[in-house]
Amino acid sequence: MTEPAGPPPPDRQPIPYRLRWRPEGIVPGAHPGHGEGAEGQFRRHVPLLRQPDPRRIDLRISLRDPFGELHVRQFAPRRTVPVAVLVDLSGSMRFGGAVAGRVADLCALLALSAVRAGDSFALYGADARLREEVTLPLARRRGLEEEVRERLLAARPGGTGADGLMEAAARLPGRRSLVFLVSDFLMPLETTERLLDALWRHDVVPVVLSDGAVEERLPRWGLIELGDLETGRARLVFLRPGFRARWIAAARARRAALADLFARRGLRPVPLADALDTDALTERLMEG
Amino acid sequence: MNGPGLLDALTHDWGVDHPAVLALAALALLPLVAGIFRRRGLPALELVPADPLSRGLAAALRVTGAIAVLALVLGLAGLHRREQGIEREGTGAHLVLLLDRSSSMDNSFADRAPTGDQESKSAAARRLLTEFVGRRPHDRIAVAAFSTSPMPVLPLTDHHAVVEAAIRAIDRPGLAFTDVGRGLALAFSYFAGDIDETSRAVLLVSDGAALVDRRVQDALRDAAARTPVHLYWLFLRSRGAKGIFEVPPPGEDTPQANPERHLHLFLQTLGVPYRAFEATSPQAVADAIAEIDRQETRPIRYVERIPRRDFARPAFAVAGGALALLMAAKLVERRLAPAGSTAGMAASARAVRDDAPRRRVA
Repeated sequence: MTEPAGPPPPDRQPIPYRLRWRPEGIVPGAHPGHGEGAEGQFRRHVPLLRQPDPRRIDLRISLRDPFGELHVRQFAPRRTVPVAVLVDLSGSMRFGGAVAGRVADLCALLALSAVRAGDSFALYGADARLREEVTLPLARRRGLEEEVRERLLAARPGGTGADGLMEAAARLPGRRSLVFLVSDFLMPLETTERLLDALWRHDVVPVVLSDGAVEERLPRWGLIELGDLETGRARLVFLRPGFRARWIAAARARRAALADLFARRGLRPVPLADALDTDALTERLMEG
Repeated sequence: MNGPGLLDALTHDWGVDHPAVLALAALALLPLVAGIFRRRGLPALELVPADPLSRGLAAALRVTGAIAVLALVLGLAGLHRREQGIEREGTGAHLVLLLDRSSSMDNSFADRAPTGDQESKSAAARRLLTEFVGRRPHDRIAVAAFSTSPMPVLPLTDHHAVVEAAIRAIDRPGLAFTDVGRGLALAFSYFAGDIDETSRAVLLVSDGAALVDRRVQDALRDAAARTPVHLYWLFLRSRGAKGIFEVPPPGEDTPQANPERHLHLFLQTLGVPYRAFEATSPQAVADAIAEIDRQETRPIRYVERIPRRDFARPAFAVAGGALALLMAAKLVERRLAPAGSTAGMAASARAVRDDAPRRRVA
């Protein structure tokens, strides 16, 4: 556990992220928060009578006012936001070692970014139940990203269903948080919907894990015996161009249905395809 | 009810050399449980569209595996069809060849030791009888010989190869005397246990005769009354010998002087259909035999024997074919190429070794 098998992780740069909403709370942080404060991000000018704080009088604006009213600068306080990552650890996530690979990278990066931004970070791994050994409560200590990585590397995805994710949703803080929901979303759409319902309070960023091997990079001809990683059922498949086209069309339709579901709830998913694209992730998170 | 009957029918016609090996047939269930392919993980089978062709192929491959195992086991156990007897109807007879083995048969028709291209009587008889037997494949034939005393050679049999071998042996050097009466008694006795409704015939081949004892004469009449047979006498007449149809001058017509003629007369009194052929040359023998051939063409029910047939080789061929199919299926097996195994930061040492160049992408 203490001796990672692979080479040392590369230098990770924290990525910034921005919220479209104002977090509540009292701990000073990096995000413009609720309420009005004497410092933080400038928000607007208000008359002195509305906010009797003569230390913040803006002389330039006051002199420009033809009515001679005194203006005071008002600021939004900077607050922290809890960042949580919910990782689906059901059997389907075992495909291609995704959890130990891309997902661990993504979570470590998010943990690092959260800690550097002064936010607290929590990790919840779940299959049919919440997996305590892949769960870290909210914390903002240094080196958290390595802990996150180690937990995810040690995690063995297995089991069926996503009930544990509902359990994890119940364990999230009561105030609005930034929640990354990492899954391949191969569960039925109703389950996804129920899960999103349970996360109604939070700002959810669905991270849709996909693998080109089962969607585009299929062999044209041949026989494959496929076993369901969750249920263990097996099926022999005779691949041929016509069937391959049907398969790819079905995958597209499923992705379109999922995108539709997210769009109805105003969620913008982040695709996590064959490799973690840090730049695209940064861009998406900076948009808020 | 049906099960034991079916089993009985199966074991009646079919058999194996090593029944214990059949216990291995239980292994034929194995391909139904475990396939030949390596199972590749897939996040969810719901990703794969339904495909009846694949389903049929999977079932066919499993059945092929079971067939391969079953055929191998049957081949190892030595599957064969047992010897079969099929009753058929044809034309023929039950025939006893009664051959004279006296030493005079070794002479030619000119009654001396054969020289040059001359043929001895026994050699001519052998050649012509062999052809005769060859023309009558459905006959059951017995062979008896007589000389100083009667010699049973072959009981009634279907095995014509044996009959031909017995006929081939008649030109061996013979013995001295000719006891035709007891020879006939022996020939009749062959039919004692024969209850078939077929025509029966005795073909007596001799070149001479001797006195038939009175007691033997009585016994022969008795036997002829009990077993209705057709009697043919092929008399190989040497030059100088007296014919059987010639009536000698009165006074000389005694059995001692003309044993052949008196045997002929005696046989006529037996009360069975009787014909005598007098042959003075190989050609005449051939004519006589052709005449007998024409006479004895009544329907006969006979059992055709089909020898045991080994099915081990076809079983192995089937197994080989099935295995070739499975091999072909195995050779077109493909695998998915998940991205995670190459792009993952946490790839194991194996992944590092295998995919070192591609890791840089990540």
